[in-house]
Amino acid sequence: MTDNGTAPIALNAEQVWFAYPQHDAVLRNVSLAIPAGKHTVIMGPSGTGKTTLLRVLAGILKPNRGRIAVFDQPMNGRGQRQLSPLIGYIPQQLGLVRNLTALDNVLMGALGRLGDTASLLGLFPKAEIDAAHAALKMMGIDHKSDAQVFHLSGGERQRVAIARTLLQRPRIVIADEFASDLDLAMAYEILDRIRDAAEQEKITFIMSMHRIGLARRFGDEVLALEGGTIVRGFIGNEILETAPEATVEATTL
Amino acid sequence: MISKLFLPIITALFLLAVLAHLGFFDWERLARGVRNMRILSAEMVPPDLTILPTAGAALWETVEMSFAGTLLGFLASLPLSILATRRLFSDWISRLARFVAAGIRTIPVLLWAIVFVILVGLGPLAGTFGIAAYTIGYLAKIYADLFEGTDPEIIEAVQSTGASKLQLVRFVIIPETANAILAQVLFMLEYNIRASSILGFVGAGGLGLIVQIYLQNLDYRRLATVLLLVLVIVLIMDGISAWLRRRFLLSTQAS
Repeated sequence: MTDNGTAPIALNAEQVWFAYPQHDAVLRNVSLAIPAGKHTVIMGPSGTGKTTLLRVLAGILKPNRGRIAVFDQPMNGRGQRQLSPLIGYIPQQLGLVRNLTALDNVLMGALGRLGDTASLLGLFPKAEIDAAHAALKMMGIDHKSDAQVFHLSGGERQRVAIARTLLQRPRIVIADEFASDLDLAMAYEILDRIRDAAEQEKITFIMSMHRIGLARRFGDEVLALEGGTIVRGFIGNEILETAPEATVEATTL
Repeated sequence: MISKLFLPIITALFLLAVLAHLGFFDWERLARGVRNMRILSAEMVPPDLTILPTAGAALWETVEMSFAGTLLGFLASLPLSILATRRLFSDWISRLARFVAAGIRTIPVLLWAIVFVILVGLGPLAGTFGIAAYTIGYLAKIYADLFEGTDPEIIEAVQSTGASKLQLVRFVIIPETANAILAQVLFMLEYNIRASSILGFVGAGGLGLIVQIYLQNLDYRRLATVLLLVLVIVLIMDGISAWLRRRFLLSTQAS
């Protein structure tokens, strides 16, 4: 493993194996280290286990073998509850509640630090509501805060999902196939807003993508997943040049 | 080919055998039934409208019983169905909750009414509790299945913010299933209005008592009035629930 020792490691996976019950292993001996404050893009053909890898890294799935550490704290099934606020997770279909407004969906990012009593009545502190509006504004969608999610377009939903994750105030955000089904101009705009937000809030982003153009635009570092394992830390010459501190051990089985 | 035809043929043979056992092929008896139907319908017209005040009061009691019973049962079914949702609670808790719901459902609403007549005495209160009991058993199962069908991606996304189980129920599961929750309550209300019109047979209040009296006295013209009233109230209920569905359900059907 190459490690130039400058950036701290936000997320570290060592020899992670994962298989769904009664199936062959999806992740085979994956080791990677995500530097803090960087944008890491995970690429690879469909069916190689990108989603599974992200869900394992987010702590939703428990690896069969191997270790995962979040800022040097080991993640296991039990300690997940205290680590989970540190990691924001945005699934491929975004996981927004369609019958609720954009604002309500964003406020869900604050649930982890709110008690049951007030939040179950739908009463959120004014500070959280202001913060939710600020997150929506940062994503350029505050004018739609009272619209129900099912009335929003695909791009608007992506902005709401990011705003919800920002309100959670995570250190790491993991997003699956983000901005993949948007037209390029829209995807660029949203990704640029995410970069600004990430810089302000000092967030480490990990995204899976399948469009090389988006990966180049967004990724400080690109990891390629093939056959359930990380095959190389870059794709193409340009990425290689812009990713000098590739911190990935190429593991081939 | 043989294996494809096997099931339909066996089903048809079984049906014929059962019908024969039940007396379906006694043509003489069926013909008598058709003759009696003519006599009965002739004796039902014109309906005796002089009993409208009595029947109207009994009908109103039936409506009250169904509304109160459905609502009480609905409220009680929510916690039970949440406990029965496998994704939220451990296997044995959800199994236990499902077993309780199945046990309640095993007893038909008429038997529940008898149980509550014994417990709280004759009258509409017994009927209300009987309806509520059956509603709990039915809705708890339907809702638990519904809650389990919530898109797992949404649950994972909100769970990863550190939300508690109760917060998940409040902000994800109930909003996501709100349409179906409402649709099932309306279905249950319609069902309960029809069901509660016979609970008076066992002394649990409502229309049933006068239906029983008219039947025993062979007073078919008065019985016809009662049946017409039930028809009217069921049609009104259909109208109300269609309006509610349009008002609350269609608006969320987009996307």
